[in-house]
Amino acid sequence: MSASAVLEVEDLEVHYGLGRKRRRVLDGISLAVASGEAVGVIGETGSGKTTLARAVLGLVPFSRGRVVIDGQDVSNASARQWRDLRRRGVVQYVFQDSLRSLDPDLPVAKSLIEPLLIQGIPRAEAAARARAFLDRVHLDAELLDRLPGALSGGQRQRVAVARALVTEPKLIMLDEPVSALDSANRVLVLEILKGLRESGVALVFISHDLGSVAGLADRIAVLYQGELVEVGPTRSVINNPGHVYTRLLVDSVPTLRSAAAKRSERESLRALLHA
Amino acid sequence: MAFAASPAITDSPVAEAVLSVRDVHIRDQVTGREIVHGISFELEPGKVVGIVGESGSGKTLTCRAALGILPDQLEVYAGSITLAGHDIAELSVKQWTGLRGSTISAVFQDPSSYLNPSIQVGPQIAEVIRVKKKVRRREARDQVLQLLRSVRLRNPESVYSQYTYELSGGMLQRVLIAAAIAADPKVLIADEATTALDVIVQAEILDLLADLRERTGLALVVVAHDLAVVAQLCDEVLVIRQGEVVEHGTTADVLYRPRHEYTKLLISEHEQYGLDRFLDAPQRERA
Amino acid sequence: MIRRVLALPAGRIAVGTLSAIVLLAIFGSALAPHNPLATTSAQLRHVSGGHLLGTDYLGRDTLSRLLAGSRASIVGAIEVALIAFFVGAIPGILSVYLGRVFEWLTLRLVDTLIALPFLLVAVAVTALLGNGMTVALLVVGVLLGPGFYRISRAAALTVARSQYVEAAQISGASLSWIVRSHVVSKVLPPISVTMASTVGTGFVVVSSLSFLGIGVQPPAPTWGGMLSSDLNYLSYQPWAPVAPALLIIATVWACNLLADAIRDVSGDAGRVFVSARAKRPLAQGGA
Repeated sequence: MSASAVLEVEDLEVHYGLGRKRRRVLDGISLAVASGEAVGVIGETGSGKTTLARAVLGLVPFSRGRVVIDGQDVSNASARQWRDLRRRGVVQYVFQDSLRSLDPDLPVAKSLIEPLLIQGIPRAEAAARARAFLDRVHLDAELLDRLPGALSGGQRQRVAVARALVTEPKLIMLDEPVSALDSANRVLVLEILKGLRESGVALVFISHDLGSVAGLADRIAVLYQGELVEVGPTRSVINNPGHVYTRLLVDSVPTLRSAAAKRSERESLRALLHA
Repeated sequence: MAFAASPAITDSPVAEAVLSVRDVHIRDQVTGREIVHGISFELEPGKVVGIVGESGSGKTLTCRAALGILPDQLEVYAGSITLAGHDIAELSVKQWTGLRGSTISAVFQDPSSYLNPSIQVGPQIAEVIRVKKKVRRREARDQVLQLLRSVRLRNPESVYSQYTYELSGGMLQRVLIAAAIAADPKVLIADEATTALDVIVQAEILDLLADLRERTGLALVVVAHDLAVVAQLCDEVLVIRQGEVVEHGTTADVLYRPRHEYTKLLISEHEQYGLDRFLDAPQRERA
Repeated sequence: MIRRVLALPAGRIAVGTLSAIVLLAIFGSALAPHNPLATTSAQLRHVSGGHLLGTDYLGRDTLSRLLAGSRASIVGAIEVALIAFFVGAIPGILSVYLGRVFEWLTLRLVDTLIALPFLLVAVAVTALLGNGMTVALLVVGVLLGPGFYRISRAAALTVARSQYVEAAQISGASLSWIVRSHVVSKVLPPISVTMASTVGTGFVVVSSLSFLGIGVQPPAPTWGGMLSSDLNYLSYQPWAPVAPALLIIATVWACNLLADAIRDVSGDAGRVFVSARAKRPLAQGGA
């Protein structure tokens, strides 16, 4: 495990439900993310990708394994320790749907500085600090007086990214950060994230769509039925996938150049996977 | 108009077009605002036309116009739509009922909202067949099972008697496709039909559509916001932006020789951030 | 929110009516032209210069009694609503946060209370504990509490499960931070609606109780009590019950109107959006 790892997950296991309904959602997940590294966690609906993110953030208890954030082992952290850790703002999270993750009744300026206010920073100072991040997300300060509903989807998602930045985190987890945006805004947000990665922030993308984050991820981790079936550098996962599921995934992503050529290949991979 | 449809496509139809949309303009009757500023394409049997654009670009409205289900305050006020030889502006309500399902049909983004959650899915499709084809209950059931098999559902008998909440999004979309092709339409419109699905399921549905086209000669209109989705199975692509067709040509032309900035943006996004960046040398010979 | 309520005509009428009635409650006794308790030999008089609304069966001036009686009725109604608020809304919000045991206990208690007819129980309790208005109001207030409990719990539950609360948690927000900055603003509108309509209900209850002779001792005037005694002399003064009845109706109606106005302005974002859109065509048509 490298010394610069911001996030280390070791042999993580998560169960949902009690008694007879108890079932395993994540099994034996091990993953390390270094600072300045972007990792894409790819999985379909129900694969456990969101649970993984929630477990790392301490929102879901895990039954086995170890999570280390920025050198601090949080596996047995109490509620109070979690709160202190979160308050430091080391880890931030960007939700898929910014319309739901920003309070609809508060001007976005208030949502933007909320993490700083929670830290106990006075309002004026918090506002001044937050303003410094507006340029980075190409956001006009005038928009901040509006309610989230009065912004376009792209502007709103950039507010959500700026909100994640104000505490200067070392790790940002993003849940489908661009899938709800139109192309122009998708490119804009991806550019912003690229800049962040270069400035040393570790990024973890959680997505069902390999195609939407491949260009930004240094490594890809493929989650299938609660297990990491493949972890490796993006190029090698895409060009030489090991697991059948990954092969089907790569073949299924719509690309401009490949088109229908792979239909029969997908057909046989599906048969193989369901066998 | 900022665009001109490639003469190669519109002027020399290979066969009689089942759906032809000619310079259609759609406007809001109340405000007088024009939303779609002239869109044209010809759809021949067995062909696939793709329409790419953001939400709100007018791609869905164009489809709705072709289906005769525009929202009340919107109207086609210039241009014409011809469906299997009928000018749709002259169709009576009764004629429309006859054409929908048996000539033109559609599937949309959210399949569960088109099925009744308190009735098993099979009988709902059987109902359509009984009305459209005037067959007995027993026979309708057999035909539904046949349809469910043809959309590659693994266990048609059990799907028949399941409710919407027991089926996954991909399975529901297959059921909807089965219902849409129940009365053997000539044209199927798939409006963002795979948008809400996981990538692997999306590919399954797109493969199914390609398969149906080959087997039955079904003509398709595939509408999506992702150029790559459309590129998977279309012969011809229209790129719409704010109600305006900014690019119209064969798929290869649009992908390899884009003229408009917006199309170039869509392509560069895939090249920069998509899988294309990592795939081995592009297969230019297709062009 | 107050400004938005006043922007609606219904809101202005309701607020105007209620402030007039509140002013009556405060200054009523001072404005009364006669001593409301003084009996005279001029019994059951018709409307005249000296007695603007006539006199009752003991020769007391009706107008003075109405003015003096307003305070007891209105203060009683507000007391009922405040008691209901404290025993209902606060546990309602806390039930979402204080764990399963508290949640279970309060829910069962509310189920029990809601099954009791509040007026009957109030009558029964005063029969047991002696004829006092305070006891009766307390009982009614507690029995109206479940309304507040359910409304505030529902609102708090929606907020607690929202992503913006989770986002605040991820930033290390404490429970009190979440309640202060996110929950209160969402719970306030539905609580205000319940408050306004509960004041109306409380008003009916106080009037009904005094009509039945519970709470206020005979010589002291109340609107409900006056209505009751006027009814006994209906053959002499058929118009007499109209004045207290109209006041009661106006007050309750104004409370309900206010509740409606608050509900209208605090509608969810979607409704605000719809109304904004509906206005646009008019604006453009006029331009």
